[in-house]
Amino acid sequence: MSSEEILLWIRKQFENTTELTQKTLDYDNKYALLFYVKSLIDQELLQKLIIKPFFEMANENQFKAYLIALPQFQKAESKEQAVLEVTNGHTLIVIQHDLYLIDLQLATNNQVSTTSVETTIHGSNIALSENLMTNINLIRSYYHQASLSIEYFTKGEVNQQKIAIIYDKEHVNKKALEIIKQKLQQLDQQVISASTELNNYLNDKRFSLFPQMLMTERPDRIVYNIAGGKIALILDGNAQSLIAPAVFFDFMTTMEDNYHTLFISLFVRILRYAGLFVSILLPGLYVGITSFAPEVFRTELALTVAGSRIGVPFSSFVEVLFMLFFMELLLEASIRLPKVVSATATTVGGLILGTAVTEAALASNIMVIIVSAVAISTFVIPVNELAFTIRIVRLILLLITSVFGLAGLTLGLYGLIMYLVYLDSFGEPYLRLFNYQKAKKSSEGQA
Amino acid sequence: MSRYYYYLVLINMIANVIASVPAILLHFHDDGAVSAMIFAVVLGPILVFYFTRFFNHFPGMTLPELLQKTTAKWFYNPFILFLAITWFIAGMITLITYTFLLIRYLTPEMPIIQISLTILLAVIFGCLMKTDRVFYTIEIILLLTVPLTILVFIKAYTNENLRWEFVKEAALYFNQFPNLNAFSACFFLFLGSANLIIFNRFFKNKQNFGFKQLTLIVAISIMTLFTTYFIPIGFNGVEGIGELVYPWITTSDSLRMKFSLIERVLFIFLLFYLGIAFLSILIHWHVSIELLKYVFNFEKFKFKGFKFGVFLPIPFYIGVSLYFVRLLDEYQLFRFSSIFYNILIIFFPMMLILFFFIKRRMKNVKKAEQN
Repeated sequence: MSSEEILLWIRKQFENTTELTQKTLDYDNKYALLFYVKSLIDQELLQKLIIKPFFEMANENQFKAYLIALPQFQKAESKEQAVLEVTNGHTLIVIQHDLYLIDLQLATNNQVSTTSVETTIHGSNIALSENLMTNINLIRSYYHQASLSIEYFTKGEVNQQKIAIIYDKEHVNKKALEIIKQKLQQLDQQVISASTELNNYLNDKRFSLFPQMLMTERPDRIVYNIAGGKIALILDGNAQSLIAPAVFFDFMTTMEDNYHTLFISLFVRILRYAGLFVSILLPGLYVGITSFAPEVFRTELALTVAGSRIGVPFSSFVEVLFMLFFMELLLEASIRLPKVVSATATTVGGLILGTAVTEAALASNIMVIIVSAVAISTFVIPVNELAFTIRIVRLILLLITSVFGLAGLTLGLYGLIMYLVYLDSFGEPYLRLFNYQKAKKSSEGQA
Repeated sequence: MSRYYYYLVLINMIANVIASVPAILLHFHDDGAVSAMIFAVVLGPILVFYFTRFFNHFPGMTLPELLQKTTAKWFYNPFILFLAITWFIAGMITLITYTFLLIRYLTPEMPIIQISLTILLAVIFGCLMKTDRVFYTIEIILLLTVPLTILVFIKAYTNENLRWEFVKEAALYFNQFPNLNAFSACFFLFLGSANLIIFNRFFKNKQNFGFKQLTLIVAISIMTLFTTYFIPIGFNGVEGIGELVYPWITTSDSLRMKFSLIERVLFIFLLFYLGIAFLSILIHWHVSIELLKYVFNFEKFKFKGFKFGVFLPIPFYIGVSLYFVRLLDEYQLFRFSSIFYNILIIFFPMMLILFFFIKRRMKNVKKAEQN
């Protein structure tokens, strides 16, 4: 294909847009053609790196050699790739028959942000930015190993989203890596806009309650997990990364656990697991005990509970459901509302509704305590995705209890554990206790 | 030995603290129960030893796989089916016992079908899991339940109402001729290792099982049997102990925790022991369903690519259990399990003879494979 034809072809690709700028440089027997999208590139850099040297060079060959030597230079494998890269912020330079790609991308979203979802008191407060290259830069600067590998995929037929898979070649869980790559290759979505969306696409179970991948915005968490043999996926334009394979305990740890001293982190961990159990079991326990087996509590306590329920017209199940429903509404509202209003909403909802409900005898005092305890203990769960799941699990257990009583609640909990054990995350069992034998010679196999 | 092996042995022992074993033992308290226990503690570990050693010889292989290689088809299919039914009944006895317990002590006004359905629905889908997942479930639930159960036992041992004179008096009956029913009930406690017929596929590497491991099992079994038998006597006396239907529940109800939210230990005991009963049923029925898979080819049943074959035993399991839950009363269950245990003491020693044959023939198979 002659250079004339290539030029024609490139022009044809951008026929319908006015975005593409075409510039001809012609001076002193030197001739070059520039293509770029004005809004994507850094024009100062273009002037400094390409246009000015062009006029200073003695001949075309010297200019060619200069272009290849530029750090921003990228080889163009095909004309299709050249066009794609132009939409990506590259400048295409055509000299005689050769295509040169120079990366002059102007990135405005490369500011490293501070953590907003997973905040910690100790430890770093840096979060991922929305720019892929900045993110990789962050991770590389935290993880100095030659074995750190990064592979790029472009997915999403329409928006051509760039996905980076980051892992440590030496430690990586090979089985999981294979599964992830295979699933990525099979992916045929039109648009992929967020990393969490990718999570859903990669998960082949349609009805899955528990998250299969860990979502995080903290580079230190990513580095920690990569060192442990896991795989991180980052999308361009997303400040959240995905980590797989994720197991249940990953969702119950914060990075801060490693930053505290032993006893403090142990205490915090115990607190967190207690919170998990409280938030799952407490509503069910209330229904089970008040409606099915009041004699379980010691007499004084049973009388207090029964006394506070005097005048409440509903069965305990409706009462709990009613209060939980309002709590969920409040939670949802405080997430969606603008920050200025959300404080008012919680005050009105939490304080005023809480007192009014007990005064109107629509719910007992103890119910209000239980609902707030449940709400608070849900916030203790460090990873947001699990907290969302727990809200649903709680309702399911509540429903089971109202049909089968306390024994139902207990068996429901055991069933839940069984379900978690049954789950897989990219070939890894989702829940199993200490796997210390992995390092030594394992004495049992999988079956 | 891998820690997972001990779970199999342990659960079969402690699950029966609450089931019909103590009732059977205490029923014969003045008729050879103590000597039967001593007898069982001697003979049981021998069986455990030979069972475990046999399966250690063939790491990662299940009994049906071994039989496939060494025996004829006319023997193989009926035998595996018989084993599957045996294991199903073992699970069902635990299920029915626990259903009766719950209706008596926790939710008396609930229909019995509904109570047994709770347990059935919680357990049944777990039986279809892979063997390694069954082990992981066991480990986690044990971790949740065992500390509290041990606390209850400690509370019982340190209680001031526990009269050691009664225990001593009961122990004096040791010089009688061992009672067969009591012996078979005790012997059942040791059959946990028999679950290896399927669970052995998990132990892919050669385990070492010798004197030390066996001593541990014997020690645990003596402790369990002592607790099962003598503690209820210590609380209730020797007179009329044979009439109690659930000796251990009655015992735990005489315990109080003064400063706790839940004063009566009974409820803690009941709800946490439910976990152990759950695991016991899970293990037995997992073995049973896996055995059935060797007899019937469930993979054949497909509907639009969805293999529903593995789900076929489930309605059958639920149906039969519900039928028996309604049919039996507590006395009949007591008789029924007693007969079941009696059959097992004949059956399991016979299996050792079978193992002997398998071992000899496997040598030939190995030789043939090498050539």
